[in-house]
Amino acid sequence: MTVVTKMKGFAAATGFAATLLTGGATYAFADDVTLTMAVPDWPPTRVMKKFFDEQYKPASGNKVKLDVDFIPWPDFYTRVNASLTSGEQKYNFIVSDSQWLGAFVEGGYYRKINDLVDADPDFKKTMESIHPAVYNAYSTYPYKSANLYGFPQFPDVLVTYGRKDVLCNDEEQAAFKAKYNEKLPCTGDEISNMDWNTFEHIGEFFMRKKGEKLAGQVLDDDFYGIAYQAGKGYDFSTTSVHTFMWQHGGNIWDETKAPTGHAEGVVNSPESIAGMEHFLKLLKYMPPVVKTGTMDIFVSDQLFREGKVAMNVDWVGLGEASLDPKSSKVSDKLVFGMAPGLRGADGKIDHTEQIGGQPFVLTTWTTPEQTKEAVAFVKWWLSPEMQNKFAAAGGQSAIKSVYEDPKYATYRPWNKAFAESLDWQKDMWHVPQFFELLTQQQDQFDLAITGKQDAKTTMDNVAKFQEDLLKNAGLIQ
Amino acid sequence: MRLSPDNWKLAILVGLVVSVLAAIALPPHVSFWIVGAMAALVAAAFVVNAYRRKYYGGLLVAPAIAVLFVMNIFPLLWSLGLSFFAYQSNQQSIRFIGLANYTKVLTNDIMAPANWGALVNTAMFVVLTVTAQMIVGFLLAMLFAKQFPLRKYLLILVLTPMMLSVVASGVFFSYYYDPTFGILSYVINAITGGQFILMDSKAGAVTGIVFADAWMWSPFVMLLVLAGLVSVPKYLYEAAAIDRVSKWRQFWTITFPYIRGLMMLALLFRTIEAFKLADLVILLTKGGNDTMTISYHLIRIANEQNKTSEGAAISYLMLFMVIVLTNLYLYIANRRSQGD
Repeated sequence: MTVVTKMKGFAAATGFAATLLTGGATYAFADDVTLTMAVPDWPPTRVMKKFFDEQYKPASGNKVKLDVDFIPWPDFYTRVNASLTSGEQKYNFIVSDSQWLGAFVEGGYYRKINDLVDADPDFKKTMESIHPAVYNAYSTYPYKSANLYGFPQFPDVLVTYGRKDVLCNDEEQAAFKAKYNEKLPCTGDEISNMDWNTFEHIGEFFMRKKGEKLAGQVLDDDFYGIAYQAGKGYDFSTTSVHTFMWQHGGNIWDETKAPTGHAEGVVNSPESIAGMEHFLKLLKYMPPVVKTGTMDIFVSDQLFREGKVAMNVDWVGLGEASLDPKSSKVSDKLVFGMAPGLRGADGKIDHTEQIGGQPFVLTTWTTPEQTKEAVAFVKWWLSPEMQNKFAAAGGQSAIKSVYEDPKYATYRPWNKAFAESLDWQKDMWHVPQFFELLTQQQDQFDLAITGKQDAKTTMDNVAKFQEDLLKNAGLIQ
Repeated sequence: MRLSPDNWKLAILVGLVVSVLAAIALPPHVSFWIVGAMAALVAAAFVVNAYRRKYYGGLLVAPAIAVLFVMNIFPLLWSLGLSFFAYQSNQQSIRFIGLANYTKVLTNDIMAPANWGALVNTAMFVVLTVTAQMIVGFLLAMLFAKQFPLRKYLLILVLTPMMLSVVASGVFFSYYYDPTFGILSYVINAITGGQFILMDSKAGAVTGIVFADAWMWSPFVMLLVLAGLVSVPKYLYEAAAIDRVSKWRQFWTITFPYIRGLMMLALLFRTIEAFKLADLVILLTKGGNDTMTISYHLIRIANEQNKTSEGAAISYLMLFMVIVLTNLYLYIANRRSQGD
């Protein structure tokens, strides 16, 4: 090695060291951080991944990669559950149904985030700007406690999907008025002001046979009035039944009252039974598939998009497909409003309903470095700027300043109804026994839906099972 | 007892003592690997022993046995062990409770009625699906045993359902039976003018599941029976024809003895499979209209509710039933062949 070469080497090393000591430190020590995430495969998560890849620039200077497993909805719980309980410790982030919180927190899989929120005033402020109903549902375990576990990923509510072409048709309007002495709801505001009685009338009114006329056109197939979820799978009847129970003044077993609160006498109270009866009463105005116990959210959505029903109550999260002419025969005929509610003696409508959507959670094996990057990502994601972009791309936001902004309603035709519905959201149980409670309840509701037993027997069976199970678990004294 | 690498008896003794001590004294995630290491030690002792005795046949099958042990026997024994503990896969605690899980799944007020209901439904599906498959498969085999135009192509067509994924078939039949979009309701509605819904009753739902299952698996029975039919020597039929033996008698005295063994085999395979029926039920009814089978019920208990040890107890009760049933078949089959 010559002297010149040695000097060149020395100069290069000195230059490199100087770069490290000055502004180059940021990139010189930049690490590759990968956050592995399990998400259901649908537009809200695809949009999030797209935004991350295209727009996210970590403030730390690290090279952060979001490695996302898109899992189809029907397999999502099974895959996540298998991954967590097998101990493979694959995921740092999981988009989780809020009801799974108890099961996976008690199992030691979901990380408590209070320390992360408390350590960062900006982040705390962001969390406090989330709508309280969404915050309680997505973040807290036990439900409504101070223990935080989740950040909102995609808040979802039930809204009414309507067919403008039939609801606003003059002939139909006149005939409906003549028959029920009330106006057939046609605009979004009118639908938002619709109670279950009007919804039932709409169901009855639009039951048409092949060959009959609908909005001036002769039908080439049977047409049905209404649809909502009433299926045996997952929570596809529980969601609707809880909504009816709450609106009638009944209640589910309330975990916030544990251990003194009971299931018996509450779940099968006269009000809860009345809610169940009301839920069952409307099924006769739905497409016949409801009698098979398989009317889930996807089936009712498909029936609506195929133009088979006048109104459908379904999640906002499924809305994008109805707007797309490739997947919807009614894409240019849509109107949206809040889901129907129960009108009280004072004339006001109670719109209380079961919340949908998902938080994302951090897992306990996520390293401090990954956690730091994950929190930075969540802060970026929940920033008003990103939440507006997300909403404009078809997502939803529970951040107050975003959903209260007048431009929010312009992003999607259901956004106004979404924002108005937030105050009415309630969640079901977050306890570890969630799946036992759910599957037994779904089985019992299915018996009622398919006409095998009445509402009272159903609610009595559900109440007794829950009382026994929760007593055994120590959640009821 | 001499200390030598080929002393498998000593290896077993050491393995057992160390494993038991590890299981008692160490946390599960450590003792698990120590037990594994002891199993490997015993296996190594057997291999060295076989090598020194020049027992190469045993050495050649050793890898297959090792794979069988790791992939099959070990999980079986592991789950058998779990069935005696109170353990949920989403919780960190485990406690020995003896036979309590077995008592619970059979007699507990909350669990037992659903378990028994699912078991009765499973028995019903076993009888109906296997009967349907045996009859249809047998008739198809009789048809395809003859030569006729396009036979080769039709045979491929008939065999296709067996090769399809169950999910694809389930989705196909869920649309086929759908009262709004399905062709079945469309055709029947056009004839009757009413509203036909196949899956709105237990009878209809069971029919739908049995039909879909028979559609998928009758070709399997056909294939086995056809193998028997083509093996019947032609000269037997020619001799029978010369003796003017009726077709009916030809079947019972010539054909049936050739296919009986294969039919028993088909019956055995399909019965074992029918006991595990879950996929079509999940896709077509989600267990609604009282079509819950024990396998689907087990999936819900063990996978969705994470009640691992209770699920293991049900699995072993099912395994016991299948073994009894299988032995009963084999006993009947052997007795008949001895009678012949």
